[in-house]
Amino acid sequence: MADAAATAGAGSSGTRSGSKQSTNPADNYHLARRRTLQVVVSSLLTEAGFESAEKASVETLTEMLQSYISEIGRSAKSYCEHTARTQPTLSDIVVTLVEMGFNVDTLPAYAKRSQRMVITAPPVTNQPVTPKALTAGQNRPHPPHIPSHFPEFPDPHTYIKTPTYREPVSDYQVLREKAASQRRDVERALTRFMAKTGETQSLFKDDVSTFPLIAARPFTIPYLTALLPSELEMQQMEETDSSEQDEQTDTENLPLHINTDDSGAEKENASVLQQNPSLSGSRNGEENIIDNPYLRPVKKPKIRRKKTSLLLTSPGLHVPCRADRR
Amino acid sequence: MPPTGLEPARMNRKKGDKGFESPRPYKLTHQVVCINNINFQRKSVVGFVELTIFPTVANLNRIKLNSKQCRIYRVRINDLEAAFIYNDPTLEVCHNESKQRNLNYFSNAYAAAVSAVDPDAGNGELCIKVPSELWKHVDELKVLKIHINFSLDQPKGGLHFVVPSVEGSMAERGAHVFSCGYQNSTRFWFPCVDSYSELCTWKLEFTVDAAMVAVSSGDLVETVYTHDMRKKTFHYMLTIPTAASNISLAIGPFEILVDPYMHEVTHFCLPQLLPLLKHTTSYLHEVFEFYEEILTCRYPYSCFKTVFIDEAYVEVAAYASMSIFSTNLLHSAMIIDETPLTRRCLAQSLAQQFFGCFISRMSWSDEWVLKGISGYIYGLWMKKTFGVNEYRHWIKEELDKIVAYELKTGGVLLHPIFGGGKEKDNPASHLHFSIKHPHTLSWEYYTMFQCKAHLVMRLIENRISMEFMLQVFNKLLSLASTASSQKFQSHMWSQMLVSTSGFLKSISNVSGKDIQPLIKQWVDQSGVVKFYGSFAFNRKRNVLELEIKQDYTSPGTQKYVGPLKVTVQELDGSFNHTLQIEENSLKHDIPCHSKSRRNKKKKIPLMNGEEVDMDLSAMDADSPLLWIRIDPDMSVLRKVEFEQADFMWQYQLRYERDVVAQQESILALEKFPTPASRLALTDILEQEQCFYRVRMSACFCLAKIANSMVSTWTGPPAMKSLFTRMFCCKTCPNIVKTNNFMSFQSYFLQKAENGVVVLENQCLLRLVIELYCLPATCLQPLHPLILKMVVRKLDSCSTMPVAMALLRDVHNLCPKEVLTFILDLIKYNDNRKNKFSDNYYRAEMIDALANSVTPAVSVNNEVRTLDNLNPDVRLILEEITRFLNMEKLLPSYRHTITVSCLRAIRVLQKNGHVPSDPALFKSYAEYGHFVDIRIAALEAVVDYTKVDRSYEELQWLLNMIQNDPVPYVRHKILNMLTKNPPFTKNMESPLCNEALVDQLWKLMNSGTSHDWRLRCGAVDLYFTLFGLSRPSCLPLPELGLVLNLKEKKAVLNPTIIPEAIAGNQEAAVNPSSHTQLVGFQNPEDDHLAKEASCNISAHQQGVKRKADTPLGSPLEPGQILEKNEDSSKVKLKIRFSSSQDEEEIDMDTVHDSQAFISHHLNMLERPSTPGLSKYRPASSRSALIPQHASGSDGTPTTKPQWNMELARKATGKEQSPLEMSMHPVAAAPLSVFTKESTSSKHSDHHHHHHHEHKKKKKKHKHKHKHKHKHDSKEKDKEPFTFSSPASGRSIRSPSLSD
Repeated sequence: MADAAATAGAGSSGTRSGSKQSTNPADNYHLARRRTLQVVVSSLLTEAGFESAEKASVETLTEMLQSYISEIGRSAKSYCEHTARTQPTLSDIVVTLVEMGFNVDTLPAYAKRSQRMVITAPPVTNQPVTPKALTAGQNRPHPPHIPSHFPEFPDPHTYIKTPTYREPVSDYQVLREKAASQRRDVERALTRFMAKTGETQSLFKDDVSTFPLIAARPFTIPYLTALLPSELEMQQMEETDSSEQDEQTDTENLPLHINTDDSGAEKENASVLQQNPSLSGSRNGEENIIDNPYLRPVKKPKIRRKKTSLLLTSPGLHVPCRADRR
Repeated sequence: MPPTGLEPARMNRKKGDKGFESPRPYKLTHQVVCINNINFQRKSVVGFVELTIFPTVANLNRIKLNSKQCRIYRVRINDLEAAFIYNDPTLEVCHNESKQRNLNYFSNAYAAAVSAVDPDAGNGELCIKVPSELWKHVDELKVLKIHINFSLDQPKGGLHFVVPSVEGSMAERGAHVFSCGYQNSTRFWFPCVDSYSELCTWKLEFTVDAAMVAVSSGDLVETVYTHDMRKKTFHYMLTIPTAASNISLAIGPFEILVDPYMHEVTHFCLPQLLPLLKHTTSYLHEVFEFYEEILTCRYPYSCFKTVFIDEAYVEVAAYASMSIFSTNLLHSAMIIDETPLTRRCLAQSLAQQFFGCFISRMSWSDEWVLKGISGYIYGLWMKKTFGVNEYRHWIKEELDKIVAYELKTGGVLLHPIFGGGKEKDNPASHLHFSIKHPHTLSWEYYTMFQCKAHLVMRLIENRISMEFMLQVFNKLLSLASTASSQKFQSHMWSQMLVSTSGFLKSISNVSGKDIQPLIKQWVDQSGVVKFYGSFAFNRKRNVLELEIKQDYTSPGTQKYVGPLKVTVQELDGSFNHTLQIEENSLKHDIPCHSKSRRNKKKKIPLMNGEEVDMDLSAMDADSPLLWIRIDPDMSVLRKVEFEQADFMWQYQLRYERDVVAQQESILALEKFPTPASRLALTDILEQEQCFYRVRMSACFCLAKIANSMVSTWTGPPAMKSLFTRMFCCKTCPNIVKTNNFMSFQSYFLQKAENGVVVLENQCLLRLVIELYCLPATCLQPLHPLILKMVVRKLDSCSTMPVAMALLRDVHNLCPKEVLTFILDLIKYNDNRKNKFSDNYYRAEMIDALANSVTPAVSVNNEVRTLDNLNPDVRLILEEITRFLNMEKLLPSYRHTITVSCLRAIRVLQKNGHVPSDPALFKSYAEYGHFVDIRIAALEAVVDYTKVDRSYEELQWLLNMIQNDPVPYVRHKILNMLTKNPPFTKNMESPLCNEALVDQLWKLMNSGTSHDWRLRCGAVDLYFTLFGLSRPSCLPLPELGLVLNLKEKKAVLNPTIIPEAIAGNQEAAVNPSSHTQLVGFQNPEDDHLAKEASCNISAHQQGVKRKADTPLGSPLEPGQILEKNEDSSKVKLKIRFSSSQDEEEIDMDTVHDSQAFISHHLNMLERPSTPGLSKYRPASSRSALIPQHASGSDGTPTTKPQWNMELARKATGKEQSPLEMSMHPVAAAPLSVFTKESTSSKHSDHHHHHHHEHKKKKKKHKHKHKHKHKHDSKEKDKEPFTFSSPASGRSIRSPSLSD
C-alpha cells in the first residue's frame, strides 16, 4: 500500500516532471534514482511495520536518505582523493561510515536479517550525455608531460588567435599629423574643461566663452612652480616610459643614455671616478674628512658662557624674544 | 680739530698721494655684530654692535657712524653711557618745499644730504659724544670700545624679509631674510662705518631658529645651541680686514651643499631646490681655477659661500667671502638656455670677490678701477669659455651700448674729480643727478659706468699687453694679501684699498709705459668719439684717399687725437695701417699694395692667412679694394659711420672672418635692399661655420630687406625654404622634425663611427655646455668648431621663424604663408622624446606669432568684438589661449610661455584686434606671481598707460612702486616708466597735472628714502616726465609763493632781511600756507640761467647771516630743551637712565640737515664756554630730546648752542664763517624748515613725541628747576607745531639760495 502510495507519489511526481522530461534527459535520470530511493524508503517502512505513510513523511525520509548517501559518497571521495586515488575503495567507505558514527560491525548482521524485502533493481536509465559543442578543428592531444586523466584541451578556437593583417599606418606625415592633432585636441579639451570649472578671464568683455583664459592665481611660493615646473616632471616620466619602449631600437646608445639620465651629481661622481680612478678608493674615506663648518654638529651650550650672559642682560631683548616663541 | 666742512677738501688733497688718509679722526680695527633675535613674523631684528677704535687725534670727542632706519637704544663707550644724536637728512631731502618742484634744486639738495652723511667724508647719521670721563683716555690715543644696542623693525631696505604666507613654521614656509642694497648699504641694518675704505676685522654672531641657517661673511667658527635648545648661534670670524659695506647676511632654512670639488665652498638654497643647486653649481670650481690661474693668486678668503634667495635685489651681489644670487638662476639639467646665463653670473660674482670685496676702493672716484678689473677678468673668462667670437661679440655689444648711452645723455665719467669747496665745479653738469656719490646716481648710469670701466680696462690692456696687465693685478693682490695678514698693524690695511693713482702707478712700474694720455682721454674725461669715414680711390696714384671726420660738438662726444688702425682688404691681401689722427687733418692717403689685376684668377688671402676664391664680378673694375675697416680692434670707444659701396659690405659679410665686421656689414646692408644683399645674407645664413649670432642678425636683416623689396621679391617668403631644409623632415617638408636632443656622448659616437652628425636644436647648446664641464685637453681640437655649429643651429631654429614673422607683403600684412608656417611649427612641435625642455623654443614661437600681427583695419573706431575678429587673429588667439591655459596646468620653467603670451596679447591689443584692457595684466602683475610674469605684465600696463593715457593705471603703478613687497619690482616699474613714459617734458598730456607732480615729488623726496636705487629711479622718472626745471603743468608761481633760486637772492636783499627774521616765527607757525614768505617774485623761467652766478655769493652771505642770527634770536644761548624719547623707547630709557647719568640727544629723524651739520660743528668743539658746559650737564639726568619732534622740539637744543657757538666764533675767530661756507652740505638741503609733514608717517611720530614728552617732563621736573623758564616757553609754543628759532634761521639759511 504504502509502496503503491509511494509509487503513486513518485509516479505523479514522475509524470509531472515527465512533462518536462522529454526536454531534459538529465532530469529524467535523477528522477529515476529518486523513485528508486522512494521505493527503498517505502519497503523499509513496511519492514518496520508501518501500514501506511503520509506522502510528506515519505518525502522527508527520502530526502534524509538521499542526503545520507550523498554524504557517504562525498566523504568517501574525499578520503580516496586524500590518498591520491580517483576511485573510492571499500576501506574509504568504511572509514567514512566510522567517521559518521556508524557502527560498521552491525552491517553484515543487518544485511542478513530475515525479514528484509527485496526490491527490484532500478530501471536502467542512461547516464545523460552532455551535448557536444560544435567542434571546430582538432583538439590538441595532451603533450607527454600531462597525464592522460587530465581534461582535454578545449576547442582550438577558444585559444588559438587568428591574426588578421591590415597595413598599419606608417606614413610619417600622417602619424605626425595624428599625434599633433590628438595632442592638441586633448589639450584644448582639458583647458576648456578647466576653464569651465573654474574662474576665468576674458579678452573680450562681451564674450567670455570663446577664448576663456583660466584666471591667474598667485602662488604663495611662486619660485617653486617656476623652477620645478610640473611640465618637466611629466616629461621626465614620459621619457622613462619611452626609453623603456625604445630599448630595442636604442641598444647601441643604451649605456650612454643611462649615463645622461643620471642626475647631475651622480654624473659628477662618475666623472670624478673616471678622472682619478686611483683616488676613487679613498674617496669614501675622504668624504668623512670633509671639514666643512656647516656640516659640523651643533654644539651644546656651555654652562657659563660669557656671551650668553651678555645676551641676556642686553636690553630690549625680552619683548621680541617672547613674541618670537610662537 | 678742523670742522667737518673741510673734509672734502682733504679728500681731494690726498689724490696723487701714495698713502691713504682716513677722513675720520680714528681708526676702526675690529667690529662685533651680534644679532640675537630675528623675528620673521614681525620682521624685526634686535642686536648690538661693538666697534673697537683707536683715536688718531688727541681731542677726539665726537664719533660719527653710519646708521639708517635702525632704532638705537643705547650707546656705551668703554662701558660708560654716551650721548648720541641720530639724524638722517636723506629721509626727506627738501623740507617745506611744497611748491618747489625743480629737479635741479632737488638734485643739489639730495647730493648735499648724501654728503652730509657720507662716510667717505667722515660724516655719518649717528653722532656719539665721548663721555668726559674718557677724554684723558682719548688724549692718550687709547682704544675705545663703542657698544651700540639697536633694533630694526620692518626694514624697508638693507634687509629684505621674504615670508610666504602658508601654513607651518617659519622654516617650513621657507621664510628667509638677506641683506641687500645698492653700493654701501650696510648702514641700513646695523650701525657701522659704511665706507668701502674703512677696513676692520669682524666677529659676527647670529642667533636663529634651530631649523634655520645663518650665512654670513667670514669663517663659521662654531654653532652653538641656546640653553633652551630651540635656537642656535652662528659664530663667524672674518680675520681679513673688510669694509662694513662688504658684510652681508642671509638667514633661512637653507639646504646645504658642500661643493664636491672644493670643500671650502658651500652652496645654499631654499628647500626643495637642492637638485637644481647641485646642477647649477657643478661648474663653479672651473671658474675658481680660471681666476686663480690668470691672477696667479689664490682665492683670498678661506671659504666661499653662495646663497640663492628669492625676491633678490639684484641677480648677483658679491660680498666678502660670499655671494648672494637670485634663486631664479637655479636650473635643472633639462634647461639649456639658462645655463650660460647663470654661469656668467657665477663668474661675475667670483671676479668681484677678488676686486671689489677683497680689494676695496679708497673713494668713490676709484670705483672704476675695481669695476674695470673685475669686468675685465670676467671678460677673459668669457673668452676662454665661450670662445673668441662670443667675446668679441660681447665687447662690440658693450661698446655699442656705452656709445649709445653717452650720446644720448652726454657722457659717463669714470674718474670724477671734484674741485674742493666749489660745488659748482660739477664735472657732469649735463646730467640731472650728481655723480659725486654712488647713491645719487641713476641706475642706468651706473650700469653704463661699469660697462665703460671694463672697456677702458681692455684699452689699457691693448696698450700694455695682457701679461703686464695680469702682473699689475697680481701685484695689487699680493700687496693686499700681505697687508691683510698684518693683524696688528691696521695702518697697513690701506694697502688693500685701490686708488686710481695707485693703480696707474703700478701700471707704469710694471710695464714702463706711459698710459697717461689714454687715462686722460677715457677716464678723466667723459664722452665717446664719433667718426665719419668715407673714401675715394685714386687710380693714378694707386692710393686710397680716406677721409675721417669727427663730431666732437654734440653732447657725449669728445675729440680723439692719436693713432687709429685701419684695415684695408685688397685683392692681394689684407693690410693694416695706423693713421695718426691729428687736430686738423681729415684726409689720409693710404698707398695700395695691389694693382687691380683682376683677370688673374687667384685666391685672395685674408687677414687670418686663409686664402679664398671670390667671385669678383661685383666689384669695381678699377679698384683693388674689397673692403675697408676703421678701428677693427675696437681700441677706441667710438662710433664709426663709414661709407662704402654695397658690394664692399657684401664682400665683407661673406669673407671677413671677424664676427664684429660681419655684424657691422649686416647692419650696413639694411640700407641696400638689393638681390645681391639678399644673396649674401642667405649665404651667410646657410654657412655652417659662421658664428651663430651673426646668422641670427642676418635673419632679421633679411626680413627687413625682404620687406623693402616686397614688390620685386620672388619665390617663397625669405628664409622659409632655408628653414625647411635645415629643420624639417625630408619626406614631409611642412613638418618640423621632432625635438630629439641627443646626448653629448652619442653625438661623439656617431661622429666617430660614420662621420655623420645629426644634431638638433637645443641639444647643440647642451653640447657646448657639456664641453665646458669636461677637461679641456681632450676636446681642444674640436672645441671651437663644435661650439660654433652647435649654438648656431639652436638659435637659428627659433630665430628664423621670429624673423620671418616680421615679413610683410605689399599690403603691409604678414603673408598668409608665413603665418601658417609658424602655426604648423607650433602644431608639429613634438618634444616627447626629448631630454631637454623646449619651453624657450615654444616661447619664441609665440613671439613669432606676435611679430606677425599687423594693425587691424578699423572702421571708424568700432568696438572690437569677436564678430569682427580677423580670421588670422582668431587662429593666433586660439594658440595663445591654449598655451596660456596649459601653463596653468603644466607650467614651464620660469613661466617663459606665460611671459611670451602676455606680451603677445598686449601686441594684439595695441594693434586693435582685441579690446585694449589692462585688467588681465593687472591680475598677472599681482604679488605672488613669478617675477618674470610680473615684469612682463607690468610692462604691458606701462605700455597701456602710455597708449591709452590712463590716469587710473598710472596711479595703480605709482601705488605699486610705493607698496610692492619686492624691491626689484618697484625698481623695475620705475625703470619701465622711464623707458616708456606716459608723456615727456615736451608733450601735452592730460596725465600731466599738479597732483602727479606732487606725488612724484613726494616719492623721491621722502617716499623712497630706504632704497638709494629706487630714489634715483624716481628722480629719473621725474626728469623724463618734467625735465630739469619746474614742470610746465604747475601754475605759475604766485608772488612769494615759490622758493627758488631767486628767492635766495631776494633774501639777500637788505630791505627784506629784517622782515625775514621777523617773519621767522610766523613762517614757522604757519607752515602750510607758505604765503607769508614775503613777495619775492621771480619769473620762473630764467632762474636757471642765473643760478650759477648767484650761488657762491649766496653761500657766504648766508653764512654771515647765520653768524648774526643769535643776536636777533629770541632764545637764550644756553637753553636746552629737556625732552623725552618717542613712545616706543620710553621704557628702555627709563631703565637706563635710572642707573646712569647721561645726556642723550637722540633724534632719529631730525630732518634738518642744517641743524644736523651745525650740530656737528658744534659737537666737535670741546666745551669752553659756560653755555656749552651746561649743555653737557653731568647732573642732569637726561637731556632727552624727542626725535625731530616736528622739526621744532628737536632743534632748539642744538640750535641755540650752535647759535651761540657761532656767535662766539664770529666774535672770536673770524674764519669760522668761512669754514662754514666751505662746507657744501650746509648749503643745500637745509633750506626750509617748516614741517609740513608730507608723509603721514611723520606726522604720526609727531604726536607721539608730544605725548611722551609731556609725561616725562613731569617726571623730571624737580631736577630741572632751572629750566622752568624754558619749559614755559616751550608750552607756549606747543599749540604751534613749529618752534620759531629753528625754522626761523633755516629760512634765512643759505640753503634757500639753491
